[in-house]
Amino acid sequence: MMKNRKRFWFIFWMLVPVFSVIGFLSVYPTIKGFILAFQNYTVFTFNRIEFIGWDNFEEIITDPDFLMILWNTVIWIGVSVFFQLLLGLGLALLLRKPFKGRGIYSGLVFYPWALSGFAIGLLWSWLLNGQFGIINDLLLKMNIIEEGIQFLSNPDTAMLSVLIVNIWYGIPFFAIMCLAALQSIPDSVYEAADIDGASGWAKLVKITLPYIRPTIISTVLVRSIWIMNFPDVIYGMTRGGPANSTEILSTHMINIVYYENDFSKASALGVMVILLLLVYTLLYLGFFNRGEMEL
Amino acid sequence: MKRSKRTVLNILRGAGLAFYLALAIFPLLWIFITSIKPPEEVYTFPIKYWPSKISWASYEYLFGFADFGKYFLNSIFVSISASLVSTVIALFSGYVLAKMRFKGKYFLVVFLFFVQMIPAYLLMIPQYTMFSNLNLINRLSGIILVYIGLGAAFSTIMARGFFVRIPKSLEESALMDGCTRLKALFKVTLPLMLPGVAAIFSFSFVQNWNEIFTAALFLNSDSKMTVPVALYSFISKAGIQWNVLAAGIVVSLIPTIAVFAFAQKYIVAGLTKGSVKE
Repeated sequence: MMKNRKRFWFIFWMLVPVFSVIGFLSVYPTIKGFILAFQNYTVFTFNRIEFIGWDNFEEIITDPDFLMILWNTVIWIGVSVFFQLLLGLGLALLLRKPFKGRGIYSGLVFYPWALSGFAIGLLWSWLLNGQFGIINDLLLKMNIIEEGIQFLSNPDTAMLSVLIVNIWYGIPFFAIMCLAALQSIPDSVYEAADIDGASGWAKLVKITLPYIRPTIISTVLVRSIWIMNFPDVIYGMTRGGPANSTEILSTHMINIVYYENDFSKASALGVMVILLLLVYTLLYLGFFNRGEMEL
Repeated sequence: MKRSKRTVLNILRGAGLAFYLALAIFPLLWIFITSIKPPEEVYTFPIKYWPSKISWASYEYLFGFADFGKYFLNSIFVSISASLVSTVIALFSGYVLAKMRFKGKYFLVVFLFFVQMIPAYLLMIPQYTMFSNLNLINRLSGIILVYIGLGAAFSTIMARGFFVRIPKSLEESALMDGCTRLKALFKVTLPLMLPGVAAIFSFSFVQNWNEIFTAALFLNSDSKMTVPVALYSFISKAGIQWNVLAAGIVVSLIPTIAVFAFAQKYIVAGLTKGSVKE
């Protein structure tokens, strides 16, 4: 009895720090965000806050650009994840078999994972500069284009530009996850396939991909959510402009905070993002067999 | 026949590896070259690929006039303090969630998975209103607190993942020898956890170092800015030269690259075993 009690308090006190921090800094703010969404809290009205019903939500949805922002978000997630996965998987397949210097090599190609998305956005906006950017310079020299492209100040090319940078940024993560999964495939499986005379392509489609399918599914799920909530690269490059052509839900919310100072309207958008996340996760889990998830 | 096919495959593989390497290195290389060009060679047409001489003028301006050293130290202080605290508390709870059986454990783990999905920018507004009341706005201690909160859930998940892989028998024999549980944890389990500790701390450091949106909202006086906030304020100011910004970007990337170089092995292990997030 005495021992049980001691054990209980041991568990309790070990858990208290993390869970009180989360309660104070994640759970309570989330609840408070829901409340703020129905109020009129701006930097200018903070001392006379009232409940105003659904006004903030209405204001967001009736914004003429709102549908475009939603569509941009879908493109941002879908295109980024698709190419990050494709190129990340390609890199992982190249790295599967050992070669001399593989450790150093993988360090050199994986390092973008650790970089600040915002700084990467800034960095690439210099590479893509319409006048002095090296990308334009190289494209001109290779005769692919005839005059410099204003990548970031033209609404037609801005989205493509931020997508390319985001894909670049996300390749290492997918490569790391896929590589770990590839390395867990026992060599004997491939040896058996070799004896049967399977071609390289057959081995990829019949062995490799089915083996790493659970990893791919869980990585895509987690990464989609993460990318939706990753405004850093866009913020370093365009801040959602020009003319909202690269605005996604997360940059939209940050712009409302920074430039309109309307905390309640931003919170309303935040509530919508949280609900979207929930719906997305449930749909995804329902669509794929839950047993395959590597939670 | 067979051999020539293999040679072709090897060449293709080498070309693929070279392509990825060039893709990964080129942007960073170019920003570095920009930062060591003499300022008058940055805006030239056609572009100069190589500076006529190496010039540290951009860095001198950055650390002199722009006072970047101050922001750098702020960032170091904030990132290290927050990562230390969240690593330590994550070790406590991760240990219990990995090694002990009790009612409600499964619920707590699932709860942590959901909490770690909530991004910083969704929390920053309510946190701002809370911290205004507590007088923690525009203070490094306030932003440290926010970062501890942001890192706590995922660090715990990672710590649990590492603890699960340490065999139970080791600790049990220590307990048999009359150690208390806490003593067994410190003497037996923790030394085996060092790779885990490195992974959790490095991961958390990288996240904290790179966080910008909460910091930009919370830290509004010049003396309190962290590195990302300073870069952000540079681009808002008209007339910042790209060579100086390039130097700022290079300096801002060095710490996380260093951490990654040092802890890549551990971080990769932490990412791929028993955890879901970046």
